[in-house]
Amino acid sequence: MPSILFPENVRQVHLVGRKIRELRKERRLTQVELSTRLGIQQSDLSRMEKGEYRVSLDTLFKILAEFKMGIGEFFEAGVQESPGERAARVVQDFNTLSTDAQREVQEFIAFKRGQSIERLREERLEES
Amino acid sequence: MRRDRKQGERQFEQLKAAWLAEIEAGRLQEALDLIAKGVELAESRGDVRQTDAAICARASITIHLGQGEQEVPKLREILLRSSDVGNARLASYHLSIYYQFVENYKKSLFYARLALDRSKLVGRQDWLASSHNQLGNALLGENYIDLAFTEYEHSLSLMPPDAKVWRSSILNNLGYCHLLQGHFAEGFRMLCESLRLARRAGNEVYQILPHLDLAYAHLERNRFRDARRHATAALALAERNGERYAIRNALYLLGETANLDRDEGSAWDYFSRLHSEFYPEFKGLPQFLMAVDVRKLVNLHA
Repeated sequence: MPSILFPENVRQVHLVGRKIRELRKERRLTQVELSTRLGIQQSDLSRMEKGEYRVSLDTLFKILAEFKMGIGEFFEAGVQESPGERAARVVQDFNTLSTDAQREVQEFIAFKRGQSIERLREERLEES
Repeated sequence: MRRDRKQGERQFEQLKAAWLAEIEAGRLQEALDLIAKGVELAESRGDVRQTDAAICARASITIHLGQGEQEVPKLREILLRSSDVGNARLASYHLSIYYQFVENYKKSLFYARLALDRSKLVGRQDWLASSHNQLGNALLGENYIDLAFTEYEHSLSLMPPDAKVWRSSILNNLGYCHLLQGHFAEGFRMLCESLRLARRAGNEVYQILPHLDLAYAHLERNRFRDARRHATAALALAERNGERYAIRNALYLLGETANLDRDEGSAWDYFSRLHSEFYPEFKGLPQFLMAVDVRKLVNLHA
């Protein structure tokens, strides 16, 4: 069962292959050019973009690292949306959830905020 | 002089039997020490055939330890030069394994086919079996699961019944193919048998993959406690035996299990460790794996 915090439409597997294809095209790279950079066969990259090819964890992360993107950028690449629009969309989605699910989202937000605070604290300690 | 030659050959064969036993038991450094003595002895006697055999044996271990690159030119030379079909077979077989490890499956397939051809010339059943198994590994790397399955089945039918470690490995490969094909009952049965055989052989290293694949299988069936148990066992064995690829895969499976079981804290910890120890250059890896299920993209045997 997928995590309620990451709904199914985010945890789709074939999304990754399709996303790689989109990012490759945005950078105007052919499959030959990208596969050469990654040290894999062009045919293997083609099958991977279609979701037909399984690779090792090493190769998967090598491919994703090639685009030098963080998670948010990976999913929002190419989508131009103002912070206000994004927040409005999040609130809209939140309101469609069950009470339990809303509570879980709030707990997750608290968890992420805790992490941010911890990171800030560590950075300040390093600076001092 | 003939007596000296016979004695030298006997000494070499004794060393060879000893290093093969150490390899079977997973004591690789001990095996390397014996092989070094074998190389020295064969070279001092000017015996090219035995020198080549010892070099192939050394390559089998160094490739497994991730130091195989230095062996490749020597193995290629043996393959091209040697009039001994057995040594040519060993050289092509280990070249196939090397290319499998560096994920160049087309080359791995090429050398696996050469190894199989030479195994047919030699006529050794165990070599035929291991060559079919290696062909299966290369095909699986290329994602030709049905073809790999056929090779593994063929391999198992040829492998002698007392070759526990080998049979464990082939059963593990077959079990994994079954999982990829969605045949979970058969997959579980073979993976459990693989683990049983590796335990009976007393070989810790060969228990790692069955544990990992069982973790994956249980995860696919949403049996999180069993998945966690097997992935934890795999991680402990992998850490004890320095098997880095297995530590990586175990951390991934433990993280994915925790994530699906809604234990986000533990999932984050496992994915963070995977990030820091294996992929520090990939910005946002823990967040990525928390959000994206890559199980269907990943070949745990690659």
